[in-house]
Amino acid sequence: MGLSGRFRSALVIGGQGIRARKLRTFLSMISLFLGVLAVIAVQAGSVLANRALLADIEMVEGKDGTVVVGVPSGDRAPAAVLDTVRGRPDAIAMMSTSAIIGEPNLTPINPGGVPLRYADQGGPPVTMTCTPQGVCYAEPQESPPPRGMAIELQLVGITGDIRQFRPFHTEAGNWLDFAGEPSMSPRLVLNREAALAFTQYQLPAEMRIGSAYSGSADAGSPHPTPRVIGAINDGNQQPTAYVRADELLNWLSASAMGSQSMTIIMSPAAVTVGPTLRAKLGPELGNQLYFRTVDSRERIGGQLDLMRWIFYGMAALVLLIGVAGILNVGLATIGERVEELALRRAVGTPRLLLAGIVLAETLLTGLLTAAAAVVTGIVGLQAAGYFFGDKRPSLQNVAFPWEAGVAGVIAGLVAGILGGLFPAIRAARIPIATVMRA
Amino acid sequence: MTAIPIQPPLIQLSGVTKTLKGQGEPRPILSGVDLTVRAGESVAILGRSGSGKSTLLSLIGLFDRPDGGQYLLHGRDISRIPERRAARLRSQEFGFVFQRFFLLKHLTAMQNVAMALVNGQGWLPRRKRRAKVMTALEQVGIAHLAKHRPARLSGGEQQRVAIARALVREPRVLLADEPTGALDTETGALVIDVLHAATDRGCGLILVTHDHAHANRMGRVVRLSDGLLVPERAGVFS
Ligand SMILES: Nc1ncnc2c1ncn2[C@@H]1O[C@H](COP(=O)(O)OP(=O)(O)OP(=O)(O)O)[C@@H](O)[C@H]1O
Ligand SMILES: [Mg+2]
Repeated sequence: MGLSGRFRSALVIGGQGIRARKLRTFLSMISLFLGVLAVIAVQAGSVLANRALLADIEMVEGKDGTVVVGVPSGDRAPAAVLDTVRGRPDAIAMMSTSAIIGEPNLTPINPGGVPLRYADQGGPPVTMTCTPQGVCYAEPQESPPPRGMAIELQLVGITGDIRQFRPFHTEAGNWLDFAGEPSMSPRLVLNREAALAFTQYQLPAEMRIGSAYSGSADAGSPHPTPRVIGAINDGNQQPTAYVRADELLNWLSASAMGSQSMTIIMSPAAVTVGPTLRAKLGPELGNQLYFRTVDSRERIGGQLDLMRWIFYGMAALVLLIGVAGILNVGLATIGERVEELALRRAVGTPRLLLAGIVLAETLLTGLLTAAAAVVTGIVGLQAAGYFFGDKRPSLQNVAFPWEAGVAGVIAGLVAGILGGLFPAIRAARIPIATVMRA
Repeated sequence: MTAIPIQPPLIQLSGVTKTLKGQGEPRPILSGVDLTVRAGESVAILGRSGSGKSTLLSLIGLFDRPDGGQYLLHGRDISRIPERRAARLRSQEFGFVFQRFFLLKHLTAMQNVAMALVNGQGWLPRRKRRAKVMTALEQVGIAHLAKHRPARLSGGEQQRVAIARALVREPRVLLADEPTGALDTETGALVIDVLHAATDRGCGLILVTHDHAHANRMGRVVRLSDGLLVPERAGVFS
């Protein structure tokens, strides 16, 4: 009875207070609304930016925690690596070489496999020559074949589904099928840049494996006929094609195999891969293994944090203006309400209850405002995804970041407490005898 | 012959002092006030302006505490009670009427009266609250104006709403500080009639006034001068 009587009285008194000052309450809400919306926008923006950046990095580097093992080249290396990962669901091996697809005996549009937009900026094709002492130099090819309908790309052979570590987006067709026998006609999945080249230039499906630079693109190199089965986005600017490692190996010469450096991508749980591989490689190569754990989140964290704090600073300023507005209105209102509050105390209302009501009025205003701002943020984000999702894929299908909602509610709460506390303290200090002197 | 049980007086002040500590010299306002008020008694307090009448009333009504002396309510010492208890006593024992009416302008007459019931001290369901409010408004003769806001009421009507607000909790004693000060003579007399009617129903009344005619309608008249209360006209009890 006692408590509920207090609570009900508080509701009635607070309700009367808010109703008596509807317009003013509304106006003070506007500035706070903008402040909270700014906090939400910053928070949502940074979460989205983080997410977009991380998604891109994940495609290139791998998900956080993924372990990347660099295996040096050597005669025993390919067999050892393939043996180690065979049948394992938690590790794959990867090797890459370059290849030229298109009309034979032409210099590719993009010598060196550079992104297409830089295709015309390279110099003339060169031949890398290395002396037995290991000094390499490049010299222009004496009579380079004419440039034409061919592109050079990076050909990546993989032994299993790399997407568990690097979440590529399939954009057309199918992904590689690792079941069944390897085909003599290698199945390729192109990345965006490579797919672009295929659509821009009508390329005959003939492939030379090996780079124009390395000189291995000579007459002796194999000429398989590849089949393009799909396209993906792998976040890579360089034209790239993915192929089953066994289909690639069919076409690699023994010497190319030996000079091939390989990579193993595995989950952190695949602890036996390291020792097994070392045993198979022998001490000399085994000691040159290089292990790296992907920690993109941590590395990009620093860059994003600075931006985020700058924006938080700005949002905090806006919020501060909102709080100042509420505080201003709150204090001005107390000035006007001195008599009402003194009178209410004279008729027996406990001063803590009155202070609580004054605080609760502002707090409620703050929370309602925050709620309105959060709803606006959610609707705004959905609208942004709906209207601009085509142009900015990072806006597509983004759930409203809950952190932003929490930030908004906290901001409203803080504003309500800051804006209501001083008026509440003032309300508690009003001498009752005011009603006799006025 | 049966023994009449001796009731302690409703209010008993003895040697009450209050010194004003503003900027500058502390100034004694009350320097040893003695006052006894029995249940149902009516007392008028006269005194020059600035003599400390309102100050005295604010001590009796527990707006403030005395610096020295003793204040017994129903025989219990309440000179130094904490604010929480004071609030409850204000709600249970006293009704207040001031020179200015202090009605909340955004509330109707009814809601203004109900304000004294919605004060965090207990809770009455809406219907009971309404019945009490209407009874109080009837007692001051303006039940027909229940739905009006203060802006549509005359000064006398507003003061009667304020009196209804003071009466609605059925207090032991009404404390009225110059309730006719803002009213013309005729309206003032009407307001005193209303207060007088309350004493007829058993409610005590302490009336601060400058008007001898109003004072003379009370059971007893005292004068505050130089910080002390002196009897002006004895009542039946003293
Ligand atoms: N809050 C205050 N600050 C400064 N002085 C005060 C305060 N309250 C009262 N006083 C002083 O105390 C003295 C008594 O004031 P009080 O209001 O009790 O007089 P009063 O007898 O009610 O006068 P009036 O008949 O004019 O209402 C006055 O001199 C007044 O100036
Ligand atoms: Mg006075």
